[in-house]
Amino acid sequence: MKSHILKDYEDALVELREGLLEMGTLVENALNTGLKGFFGSDIDSCFEVIDGDEQIDLWEKKIDELGMGILLKFQPMARDLREVLSAINISRSLERMGDHAVTVAKRARRVIKADGERDVVLLEPLAAECRKIVRHSLTAVSDLSEEKSHETIEMDRAVDVCHKAATKQVTKLIGERPDSSKMLLNLVFIARSLERIGDLAVNIAEDVVFVATAEDIRH
Amino acid sequence: MMNEELVVDSADAPEVAEGEPIIRIDDLSFSYDLGSTDTLKNISLDLRAGEVTAFIGPSGCGKSTLLRCLNRMNDLVETAKVTSGRIEILGQDIHDSQVSPMELRKHVGMVFQKYNPFPKSIFENVAYGLRIQGVKNRGVLAQAVEESLKRAALWDEVKDRLDSSALGLSGGQQQRLCIARTIAVKPQIVLMDEPCSALDPIATVKIEELIAELRRDFTIVIVTHNMQQATRVSDRTAFFYLGELVEFDETSVIFGNPTQRQTEEYVSGRFG
Repeated sequence: MKSHILKDYEDALVELREGLLEMGTLVENALNTGLKGFFGSDIDSCFEVIDGDEQIDLWEKKIDELGMGILLKFQPMARDLREVLSAINISRSLERMGDHAVTVAKRARRVIKADGERDVVLLEPLAAECRKIVRHSLTAVSDLSEEKSHETIEMDRAVDVCHKAATKQVTKLIGERPDSSKMLLNLVFIARSLERIGDLAVNIAEDVVFVATAEDIRH
Repeated sequence: MMNEELVVDSADAPEVAEGEPIIRIDDLSFSYDLGSTDTLKNISLDLRAGEVTAFIGPSGCGKSTLLRCLNRMNDLVETAKVTSGRIEILGQDIHDSQVSPMELRKHVGMVFQKYNPFPKSIFENVAYGLRIQGVKNRGVLAQAVEESLKRAALWDEVKDRLDSSALGLSGGQQQRLCIARTIAVKPQIVLMDEPCSALDPIATVKIEELIAELRRDFTIVIVTHNMQQATRVSDRTAFFYLGELVEFDETSVIFGNPTQRQTEEYVSGRFG
């Protein structure tokens, strides 16, 4: 589409888009760093995620501020209006993804500190699917792609399957090794956060479809 | 000639059920210079009774020209000519030799961009059309004037000075007076050509509120350059560009998710 006649308006929309992608990159990094801490028993990585969450929270407020500014100053219409509304929604989903990355990091810390077998390998398939879906949803945002959004929504099935499998295996282990139940419970919480991150990636994809087509495909 | 919209009562007009087409424009082309250039090109559009329809588009797109076709105001331009198509209002071809512009304007009133009260009293401005209809009874006139001023949301502001000059009113009040003058003779259709463009924001809001009230009893067609105004006051919006109708749909569609790329670019400020 052509650029807006009013350069300030175009600049504000670009700033909003770039801000959203920057926030998305921070969230994706937080997830990857948290998982690195978890699988690699790297406690520094866990602290990095926990400390970095404030930055993600600030971005959520910044996106709200940019979006409100555009609504107030330029009264966007049509696709521009949908883009601003969706950016605010997407930043909300990203912020919650960031919170789940923090949960992963906090629980990982406890797992790292635990004695005995850690069984982190049980969550590897789920973590791999989770990384993939987050990456794909962010690509959908950057390309404003309806196709990539639908692919993201499809990918959540694999996340759910892996989540169920991991939870089942961990639950079985709790029965077999009650002494490790405290540590294993942390794996259940981490798995749940990864599954929720998948759901949030779906929410983001739904928002992108709304921008691209004006169709509300939620629920 | 400019005041003929006030000429006679239109109580004898056929009824059109709400939501049914009251104005049917079929393949209309129109030229200001005897057909050498068409200002409007093959416009087809049905406007429904009881709705507010907004015409939008960049300057020169033909939206005011089309509005002025609807009560044959363009007849005043000597070289103006409908080069093809027809306009049917209340089931009648308005260019039929049996229909005079005066007859047409019984049913189709008009409010202009620049408020234009007569240099008479407030009372006489509103009573003008009724007097031309032959109403002489002071009581009947007084009642009609009061009712029209109330419907135009002006009564409370002027009831104690009905005999004062209309020219002493503020711009917003003068425009509401012009609306009262138009509706006093009970047309079915009210055309508004940028009725708020000369008004401050508060006076504009008052006119918009008035349009929301009047929509219950009148079919309203409004030309506006203010897109936020179109979104606030209208049920449907028609977007014109270079004399052509690009898109016509519910206002929420035109401003939320238009079908045509040109409409999207115009409403989101990417050309015009």
